[in-house]
Amino acid sequence: MRIRQPLLPLLAVLSLLSAGALAQDLTLPNKPGTLKFAVIGDSGTGDSNQYRLAKVFADIRQKFSYEFVIMMGDNMYGSQSANDYTKKFEVPYKPVLDQGIKFYAALGNHDQPNQANYKLFNMNGKRFYTFKPKDGVRFFALDSNYMDKEQLDWLDKELAASGSDWKIPFFHHPLYSSGSTHGSDMALRDQLEPLFLKYSVDVVFSGHDHFYERIKPQKGIQYFVSGGAGKVRKGDIRDEGLMAKGFDAGYHFMLIEIDGDQMHFQVISDLGKTIDSGIVLRNKNQSKAAPASAPSVNTVEKPIPAGAKPSTATKKP
Amino acid sequence: MKNPRACLLAAIWLMSACSTSAQQSAQQPPKPDATAPATQAGAGPARTKMPEGTNINSDAKLMADFKSKVDDYLKLRKSVEGQAPAVKNTSKPQDLLTAEKALAANVRAARANAKRGDLFTPATQALFRRLLNPSVKGPEATENKGAIKEDMPEPKDVPFQVNADYPRDESLSTVPPDVLRALPQLPPDIQYRFVGPHLILYDVKPNMIVDFMLNAIPPIGTKKQ
Repeated sequence: MRIRQPLLPLLAVLSLLSAGALAQDLTLPNKPGTLKFAVIGDSGTGDSNQYRLAKVFADIRQKFSYEFVIMMGDNMYGSQSANDYTKKFEVPYKPVLDQGIKFYAALGNHDQPNQANYKLFNMNGKRFYTFKPKDGVRFFALDSNYMDKEQLDWLDKELAASGSDWKIPFFHHPLYSSGSTHGSDMALRDQLEPLFLKYSVDVVFSGHDHFYERIKPQKGIQYFVSGGAGKVRKGDIRDEGLMAKGFDAGYHFMLIEIDGDQMHFQVISDLGKTIDSGIVLRNKNQSKAAPASAPSVNTVEKPIPAGAKPSTATKKP
Repeated sequence: MKNPRACLLAAIWLMSACSTSAQQSAQQPPKPDATAPATQAGAGPARTKMPEGTNINSDAKLMADFKSKVDDYLKLRKSVEGQAPAVKNTSKPQDLLTAEKALAANVRAARANAKRGDLFTPATQALFRRLLNPSVKGPEATENKGAIKEDMPEPKDVPFQVNADYPRDESLSTVPPDVLRALPQLPPDIQYRFVGPHLILYDVKPNMIVDFMLNAIPPIGTKKQ
């Protein structure tokens, strides 16, 4: 195949980035038999930034074989024609899709609700749904744009039936966030948090704010904001005490590995650098009757490999 | 009367019976009145003071009427679903969009005479504005208005026409849970959405505006960028 001359520098840069991703030390255990997945949010711009991160995202699978991907919504910005599905999803993630990796999407505010019928988003025509990829772990994809009684009743029933599984809801609007543009969605928190506490939810993923943030555990629940797979709002994090770790200087995705009662996480930037890394330790013996403030998870930060520390957001006045 | 004593006892019994009946009457709530006039507020000089509770009943009737109209719309939509390729799970986005547009065309043809206010009747609109008021003027107003404003499209970007397609490149407003709780619950796939201060009734499957009401809530400013 002939490659046109102007494309060569671009390919060289992509190769370097790719090499960066491959050279990146995994802080995850990467053990056989564990549940491995990835998290992307606010990805669907179809621009070069999404593509650049998607390349790192695909390449890192050579080191860490995540089995599926959860999407935090805003899977497509702007128009949503058939071409947009191609440009904003199928092409950037083709290397991963070609390996048979499933994407499970939640709807964001920019997503047409009929995306639920797009097979590659694995929503089966439903705007909220649950799936259990492995014994002991259950996911709940919610439509936070439209949290009506039907959905709340459904969530109540599904959480009640999920027993002692890891309970991992994911949806677009964050209940806790230090974003100065969006921030915490208090109205949604009023509705969801009581259910999360009632049924001892462990970890929650959201997007919407275009950065990465690990929230300090709130009432025993670990919240992550991961909305920077296609857009970044630089300098948007304004920490007022919620943030454990934040990154608003570049694009990112998350890698997760669940091993028994430990959930390991590693966050990688578009430059292939590790932004954050740690373990969420679950206390599965926590009594349902325990006070809401009793911690059910404990998050431990892992050291980031030397030379890989990117600039991270700091507390701002 | 020949026996004054018997006459006195009879009078006492009668007075006692009347008093008990009056007490019982005062303790009972007004009977539901399904035929109560829909509009009482602003009914003009002929307006009479209605017993407490009648408002609630007329609100319930309005809500029931609205839900019935929504159900009728849904029946109509379902009746034409078989006339075009189904909007179903597919890995071909073009098929999805084609099915969606075909369904919209069939719904449009089936309700060609539909007009603004068929579902959001004037009385329903008045009720909805009243129901929405606490969410956008009460203690949670800032949060709720912020949530709506954050994701809403600008009114100039959305056609305010019954049966119109919702623009595919415009976002759909988030509708805060408080607001959804205040309004009658809708069947799956039929949703309330805001465009500025205006409320649309949106059908997801054909991506269509079923009806709309202007100024459902007070102006909420422009959205965040």
